[in-house]
Amino acid sequence: MNSFCSLTFILLFLPGSAALWALAPRRARPAVLLAASYACFWLISGALLGMLVAATLVTYATGLALGALRERQRRALVGLSRAERKALKQRGRARLNLVLATGALVLLGMLVAVKYLPFFAQIGSSLLELTGLGGPLVAPRLAAPIGISFYTLQALSYLFDVKNGVVAADRNLLRLALFMSFFPEIMEGPICRYTDTADQLTSGRPPQGPEVGSGCVRILWGAAKILLVADRVNLFVKPVFADHTAWDGTVIFVAAALYTLQLYCDFSGTMDIALGAAHLFGIRLPENFRQPFFSRTASEFWERWHITLGSWLRDYVFYPVSLSGPVKGVASVLRKRLGMRLGSVLSGGVALACVWVLNGLWHGAGWQYIFFGLYYFALILGASLAEPVFQRLRTLLHVNPEARGWHLFQVVRTCLIVIVGELFFRAEGLRAGLAMFSTVVKSFSPAQLADGTLLAPGMDGADFALTAVMVLALLAVDLWREHGSPVPAGALRHRTALTCVAGVGLVLAIILFGAYGGTYVPLDPIYAQF
Amino acid sequence: MACLRGKTILALVASACTLLIVVGVLTPILMPKNNQASFGQLDAEAHGVLGESPYSLDVLFMGDSEVYTSLDPLQMYRAQGFTSYDVSTSAQKLPYTYSLLDQALQGQSPRVVVLETNMLFRKFTVDDALWRTLADTFPILEHHDRWKSLRPVDLTARAKATWTDPHKGFRSNDAVKPSSAKGYMKPSSDRAAIRPLNRWYLERIVERCREHGACVVLLSTPSTKNWNFKRHNAVQDLLDEHPDWTDVSYLDLNLAQKEVPIDWASETRDGGDHLNRSGAKKVSAYVGSWLQERYGLPDHRDDAYYYAWNKAAK
Repeated sequence: MNSFCSLTFILLFLPGSAALWALAPRRARPAVLLAASYACFWLISGALLGMLVAATLVTYATGLALGALRERQRRALVGLSRAERKALKQRGRARLNLVLATGALVLLGMLVAVKYLPFFAQIGSSLLELTGLGGPLVAPRLAAPIGISFYTLQALSYLFDVKNGVVAADRNLLRLALFMSFFPEIMEGPICRYTDTADQLTSGRPPQGPEVGSGCVRILWGAAKILLVADRVNLFVKPVFADHTAWDGTVIFVAAALYTLQLYCDFSGTMDIALGAAHLFGIRLPENFRQPFFSRTASEFWERWHITLGSWLRDYVFYPVSLSGPVKGVASVLRKRLGMRLGSVLSGGVALACVWVLNGLWHGAGWQYIFFGLYYFALILGASLAEPVFQRLRTLLHVNPEARGWHLFQVVRTCLIVIVGELFFRAEGLRAGLAMFSTVVKSFSPAQLADGTLLAPGMDGADFALTAVMVLALLAVDLWREHGSPVPAGALRHRTALTCVAGVGLVLAIILFGAYGGTYVPLDPIYAQF
Repeated sequence: MACLRGKTILALVASACTLLIVVGVLTPILMPKNNQASFGQLDAEAHGVLGESPYSLDVLFMGDSEVYTSLDPLQMYRAQGFTSYDVSTSAQKLPYTYSLLDQALQGQSPRVVVLETNMLFRKFTVDDALWRTLADTFPILEHHDRWKSLRPVDLTARAKATWTDPHKGFRSNDAVKPSSAKGYMKPSSDRAAIRPLNRWYLERIVERCREHGACVVLLSTPSTKNWNFKRHNAVQDLLDEHPDWTDVSYLDLNLAQKEVPIDWASETRDGGDHLNRSGAKKVSAYVGSWLQERYGLPDHRDDAYYYAWNKAAK
């Protein structure tokens, strides 16, 4: 069971857990859900379940320690003078920071040990070699448990929130364990906040009728995205990225575009399955996508793509760094010297740089991921800095910013920016990414799009036709979500019938047009590796 | 779920029926119309067994590539006169073995079913087993991709199996890549592990053969890469655990180096993993005479019913 599309998960694990949960008395449901979540983790990562349990216990203990410190501080403040309160708060903050740092270091230590150690050792070796201080450092490659990047961020968000008084420290270990391990989230997120899911997970509330139906349809829609598109375009993407030197610019560009489509279908499809599966347990998880390819700028794209990671980085990196003493000082100096606008943008750039380096690193231990983060940093900061110039140009060219044509141009431009970013992201290393980009620039030829060149890597005409139909279907669904339902209100009275028709249609589409069996190799969930 | 109402249950049943009807209508359209690769048949060489004359085969050889590189049915026919077929595919997993055996037994009644033992150790997941069960129940799953190559005749033509492989599933290869492994069958008291799921499938296969009156032979073909004493011990233990398997024999050719003297410098095509034509000749000669001697297999060489075999063996 290595993906949500595996038969074991879809046919045995999910229905089995949902049935057990539904049959259990309401008070016992959280325990059933935790047992199912740990079983799922065990089936994927085996004994590495121990790491999740250890992370849960560290989070629980740190949360309680933070809660106790906050409570002690609250009591001690009663009846003190303003000056005494200020001094006590300062001392209390230092203690809270120390406890938080200890817990966070243990959690991050586990993440770094399994994910980043070889990369950091490689950087250390290069530095030692450069300075002539010693030989190469060798770090062991350790097996990583599934979802470690996701549950670590969830645990850290809980600790930050307890420290800041946003949530109270939870004494219920079962609830915290469920928050960190709920099995629909364990593969690829979404990265939930404690306030989003903790109470829902332990309430044992049965799903309402429509929730079960809509959950099943959402699961099927997610599976269709993965099996019809992501697994099919892999026939083209895999060979091109495996040996980019064998292909010219047109093929590489199409491979980058198809990889972007593949990543979207695989990740958003897995999210659909996660959200749909959660519905079966009466739980609503936060959305992770909001029609990202309708974005008009790179920064808007990241407000619509992997929303929960973006909001995590905004709340726990961008704001704290922006509001920190040193950055505030820099901002003040820059504003005085360069003016209000430029000074603000440049000082905000410090926090922005932290966000994008961490965004890149979170995706993987490799220079191409850091480059990927810095690519977006440069684009977003550059766009902010150059906005007055763009504004003047638009005025000179009489561009109406509200015109549909201008919107379309912005959407296409953003798509191109995203495709170039994904080319570096998917490339086998930064050097390969740069070489591929250079090939696209030097030898892209539109004529090759229609002369049969694109049939060489592994997709035939029927594969392209089916992919095009699915892109139109995705576009239709995204337009529907963006602009509201086109279904007349009267038809919603027949919700059950509509759900059944959608379900049967999707099952048939998957059976007939899915890229499975025979010579197809199923794609491992891409984001589960991050 | 607790609040599923009658209307909802009715809708679910109607949906399931609709789905089954549509699948039932589409299945005959998408099925390959003959058992050849050009018709869209997967693993056509192995499925060639379905095109053999009814109840004409005495022995079925089941297994992975070790079978189709080591056992030549036509050589055995020329030497001993019994008929056999290599129902083997690359990296065959036991659920697929069971499925292929089941298909073959619908038109054949072999006296012996030989199972190559390498696949007893091939790992497969619950997903593999589920997939095989589903694909056997709903063949549309295995052949769904034929929508790409459908022709008007597919709408009306009925599926049949009239083709058989002229080499009876055997694939000869003259390449030579010596093996450097010496003493790969060094005696040991260690045991390799046979996974519970593999064990369960083997038991089902033996059961199925018994239902059809076929004896089972577990055969370990020579391979320095795939075989060792630990695996030999594990198979031997398996037999010891089943005292009721009186009709199941075990033949390990890796320990019969006197009878089947494979020259690992010249009779393997890929460094000891598989045999080449010369190695296969030795194995086929020994296995042919061993099977005939042990099971008294008939000689069909003068039987007119086996005209096609006589022609193929020439």
